[in-house]
Amino acid sequence: MNRPLDLDDIQGNICKGYGRYGFPKARYFFLQFHTPDQGRRCLHQLIPLITNAEPWAADGDSPLKPDVTTNIAFTYAGLEALGLPQRSLNGFPGEFRMGMKSRADILGDNGPSAPEHWDPVWQGEGIHAWVSINGRDMDAVETRFSVIRGIISDTGGVSIRPGHRGADNTLLPWQDASAVYENGKVTPKEHFGYVDGIGNPYFEGCGNDPSRLPGRGKLNKEGQWQPLATGEFILGHVDEAQEYPLAPEPHLLAHNGTFMVYRKLHENVTTFHHYVDSVAQDFDGSRELLMAKFSGRWPDNGAPLTLAPDDEAKAALDQQLASLTEKADKGDACAAAQLKALKDQWIDFTYADDKHGSRCPIGAHIRRANTRASLETQKGAFNTPSALDDRRRLLRRGLPYGGGQKEASDATEQGIIFMCLGASIERQFEFIQQQWINYSNDFHLGNDKDVLIGSNNGRLTDKHIIQTQPKSGKAPFFCSHLPRMVETRGGDYFFIPSITALNMIAQGIIDPT
Amino acid sequence: MANTFGNSYGLTTLCPIINGRHNNTALDKITRRRIQLLKENSASPFARIPNTYFARLFILNDVFFEQGNDVARDHLKSKYLVFTSNFHGDLDTYLSGMWQHAEAEIRHIWQHAVAFNNVQNEKDFIAYIKKCQLTTSLFFNGSTDDTLQDQLKSLYIKQAFTEFALTHQGKTAAQLRAAFNQFIRQVDIHNPVSPAWSPGQETLSDLNPLQQR
Repeated sequence: MNRPLDLDDIQGNICKGYGRYGFPKARYFFLQFHTPDQGRRCLHQLIPLITNAEPWAADGDSPLKPDVTTNIAFTYAGLEALGLPQRSLNGFPGEFRMGMKSRADILGDNGPSAPEHWDPVWQGEGIHAWVSINGRDMDAVETRFSVIRGIISDTGGVSIRPGHRGADNTLLPWQDASAVYENGKVTPKEHFGYVDGIGNPYFEGCGNDPSRLPGRGKLNKEGQWQPLATGEFILGHVDEAQEYPLAPEPHLLAHNGTFMVYRKLHENVTTFHHYVDSVAQDFDGSRELLMAKFSGRWPDNGAPLTLAPDDEAKAALDQQLASLTEKADKGDACAAAQLKALKDQWIDFTYADDKHGSRCPIGAHIRRANTRASLETQKGAFNTPSALDDRRRLLRRGLPYGGGQKEASDATEQGIIFMCLGASIERQFEFIQQQWINYSNDFHLGNDKDVLIGSNNGRLTDKHIIQTQPKSGKAPFFCSHLPRMVETRGGDYFFIPSITALNMIAQGIIDPT
Repeated sequence: MANTFGNSYGLTTLCPIINGRHNNTALDKITRRRIQLLKENSASPFARIPNTYFARLFILNDVFFEQGNDVARDHLKSKYLVFTSNFHGDLDTYLSGMWQHAEAEIRHIWQHAVAFNNVQNEKDFIAYIKKCQLTTSLFFNGSTDDTLQDQLKSLYIKQAFTEFALTHQGKTAAQLRAAFNQFIRQVDIHNPVSPAWSPGQETLSDLNPLQQR
């Protein structure tokens, strides 16, 4: 377990979700390289600022946690603009070369999500690189941003592409993102009010604490959690099929790099709340339970429905949590251990005891996005229970954006900067989006789509079923006329090179022969 | 493995195409073009042919070898028109229906197949196809083996019932019973022809006038 990876060669955002490490503020911006020489010179200056994936520690040999992180990734057009040899470019997978706009049909980016409605920055050509700054606070982000802006203006021939829609219809040259604050405190919530970003995968060599493995890895035959193969998330390493992922030549260009999907997802908060209010009138349970039945987790604290499937169980869970927390805060070690064991169940669960979806609906968001071995048709059908899921896991990154207005509405700017990383955009992200978010054949739910991020259109048959236990005498509950809760406002596919590859690209010595 | 799977039949036929030309175009290319111009889904001639679950036409150019130089290997002496169909019932009935409902298209598609000029009527056609038939290996029928009409009626009822459930949720038992009686009358469960989905239909029917909330 945890075979050594060259974490100092891997960009930090691959192995670390910065939000979890106390970086609630971020700025994302996009570069255009006007000539290959100037682009490479600029990149050369930026490399010392790039954060790698080495663990941070308070002392010893490990580096200290910085105030700010910086990472960089490139579109296909960007790699072309930096003068990579055509033969290397030809080795990139088709979907990456096409870019996200051209994949709109596959992704369900239609109607209000269609590319012609995206923010101006995504119209036309010229998005070559994505740069991210994550900071402990906005000052740290601003300071780093001005350093980078200095580098860009010094080298010349590189520009920051403007056109991100901001508050009050302003257009900004960057996209700011921030955790949602409640009473001045950082929360892990997004703008619909759900706790988000809980279930990230655990892979071999990721450098994370092995205690984080249960619920995040893959299930072996014995039902134990094991780390996913490194090659599912980082190029140049063997994946779950015991193969090296498709990658360009030379080997060093791809090794320790990966692909990233960037999507600006606008949240129609008025539509969402109106819909919940209207359906809640007929629903047998609280408004919170209804919201949980959409996502699979309770909105306030992210507890999974597998753990607390109804209002009564949730009240008991909350009471247990409060009591254990109080005791643990007073130094009761036993209570602290019990509390940790309880919280572990937020992530360490499967749907083995919930085949019919009476606890967590089969079409709930988390059950679609991370199927947790629930596609095993019968015990022993596959090599391992999660064999069908292990090739379709996503490293989720990103933060909410916008918000903070007095009156949020569909028209105000708020949503999520969704980023996900993996060795194959087509096999992982695109498959999940097409087959599991916007279609339900694998779940035996016909054409149903995800309530929250599916491309629903408010028709009678745009529906979500809240199942009940068979023979319980209770009828399932149908949520019909699902509106479009989330709209895509832009994005693209990026390649995140290793530190070694960044240096080679900057030097202009990528040579596939 | 046989040609049947319950009441469903998997037909595989390979009909050789005459090695020749017409107006300087090879006859296999003419045949392929004719296949490619066939209309699809509800407009396909197969939508008229009773009990067709799924049918496919293509031209087989030659056999392929995965490895090595294939120059010295066996090759086909002609191109083949491949016709496969999954349908309900027995072969003779199906082929009769095919001739009766799509004779013009059949004559057009098979025009350049070897010996098809001897096919004058339904009986000849059945004999011709049987002569070109191969045993279907590994046949698996992806739907039930009921008649197509029954399946189309079932799909219609499934859609209509889903919409019934969505529009009548939360009503009292008495209201539900009344609505359900009305629903049963509407779907006319014992009439297999109407209302039902139509052969080749590829999207949901427009059943509910109040689609938008």
